[in-house]
Amino acid sequence: MTMFDEEVLRVALAQAANGFSVSTTQPDRILEHASTSGVTERMGRIDALLLHFGRTRSIVMSLAASVLVVAVAVPLFLSEVPSATSGSGVAAAAAQKKFVVHGEQAPIPKFSNGDQGLVTTTGTAFLRGDSIGTTTSESSPGKTGKSGTSSSLRVEEVGTIDVTIGARRFQTTLSQLTAFASADGGFVSSTHATMGTKSKGTFSAASIVLQVPEHRFATLVDQVRHVGHATSVYTSADDVTGQYVDLQARISALQVSRSQYLKIMTRTNSINGILAVQSQLNSIQSQIEQLQGQLNLLNSETTYATLSVALSQSGAVHVAPPHARNGFDKAWHDSITGFVSGFEWLLRIAGPLLFALILVALLAILGRFGWRAGQRRRMS
Amino acid sequence: MSDLVDVAELRTWLEEGYASSVRTAYLILGNRLDAEDAVQESFLRAWKFRESLSSDSSFKPWLYRVVVNTCNSKLRKEIPHRDRRSQDDELAGIASIDDPMGRVALSNDVMTALKDLPTHLRIVIVLRYYADLSERDIATAIGRQPGTVKSRLSDARARLAAHPALQFDPSGDTHDRQERHS
Repeated sequence: MTMFDEEVLRVALAQAANGFSVSTTQPDRILEHASTSGVTERMGRIDALLLHFGRTRSIVMSLAASVLVVAVAVPLFLSEVPSATSGSGVAAAAAQKKFVVHGEQAPIPKFSNGDQGLVTTTGTAFLRGDSIGTTTSESSPGKTGKSGTSSSLRVEEVGTIDVTIGARRFQTTLSQLTAFASADGGFVSSTHATMGTKSKGTFSAASIVLQVPEHRFATLVDQVRHVGHATSVYTSADDVTGQYVDLQARISALQVSRSQYLKIMTRTNSINGILAVQSQLNSIQSQIEQLQGQLNLLNSETTYATLSVALSQSGAVHVAPPHARNGFDKAWHDSITGFVSGFEWLLRIAGPLLFALILVALLAILGRFGWRAGQRRRMS
Repeated sequence: MSDLVDVAELRTWLEEGYASSVRTAYLILGNRLDAEDAVQESFLRAWKFRESLSSDSSFKPWLYRVVVNTCNSKLRKEIPHRDRRSQDDELAGIASIDDPMGRVALSNDVMTALKDLPTHLRIVIVLRYYADLSERDIATAIGRQPGTVKSRLSDARARLAAHPALQFDPSGDTHDRQERHS
């Protein structure tokens, strides 16, 4: 101060304040009124605690902020961990949760019941989790019935199902699939399984091909779909009745030709004639055997439906089999992998952390305003 | 609640602090009746929330905190909505006491300068130079950090020093008053 020092200000304030007399009985009246008029409601423990000065308030605020940070950041971080272990981030998660099944699905139960009409069904099934909804459109151009092409309908059915299961159920599921095929009168065509180990960070995977009688195919698909979490289901049915009948007709015609050539051969006396007929017979016989082979194959394919099941452990990703690394190559690869993993981890945690910090900052600001307002209300 | 103050002890403290509370409120509010109202209200609230005062807390800053908050509330809610009472009435009261004219004039100048200070600066000046609280106690009383108090005190002193009512008068009035006090 340029004009007078602090002592002068002190004296001047004292003079100004002491310029009037203050009643000495007033405080008694006020306190008497306070103590008798019910102004004695006790504050809650929390209010009393919050009104304490200094350190207590800081401790309470710090604890509240810490709890908030932990409560927000930990769940957010943990929600990111599964994708961190899978290594392929969003794509893997999306594949786990949402998948679309496209395919043509034959109305197998109708066929198994002996309906001989030609029915084609096209549909798209959208699977989300365990629920499946299917929209189908059917047409029945072949309802001409038994006057159709053949006395028995020949349908070739194949299917592919991708199923994810927990690591502990892997062996059990493989046995279960084999049991399904056997129970349905079928068999396991092939199996390829690799068992992962937790210590090496590898995952178990298997592919198994099941063959069951055609009329049990739908049942098998339904059973397999429920052994785990079906991420992809594809089935197709191909009506090969026409091809089957054609083969039979061609074989029959060739057999007739062969019979006629055999009759001609019995009437031929010259060597040249016999040789010429023999050559024709050989050609016809070869054609018959070739067509018979095709017919047998078609017969087999239409007798047994094939279902390929791909089993994978939950959280596993399909990666190309790594070639053996050693020495500098392995060290360099590990280094790059570690760097990328670390960077991914930083990026992954940055989002939740930033969100938590912003939330804490906002709540701290609001809390501070609220605190002051509360203090003013209580004290004033 | 063993750390709470004894009721009889609190009553004694409040009775002893009544006069200084009224005068402090007067310096903040600039009006005696408002000051008495504020202190009455403050005492009722202090009694009501006496459990917030623990035995290891200092009573003086706690009481001033209640008074200051009540004054702030009055300045914010009541006083702006009615006509301010004339400062002259108060000054007449001061002059009616046995003070010499010079002391009354100095008090008048200081009160004028004090009135022109923003409320938050006026409060720290009054608590520091009239209630004689330390910066730490003022921080407790106004619910701010000691650094904030220091800053506000510095700002308030600078404003008071630059206030026209406290500038050096060529006729020597203000200067003479200082000399008389010293």
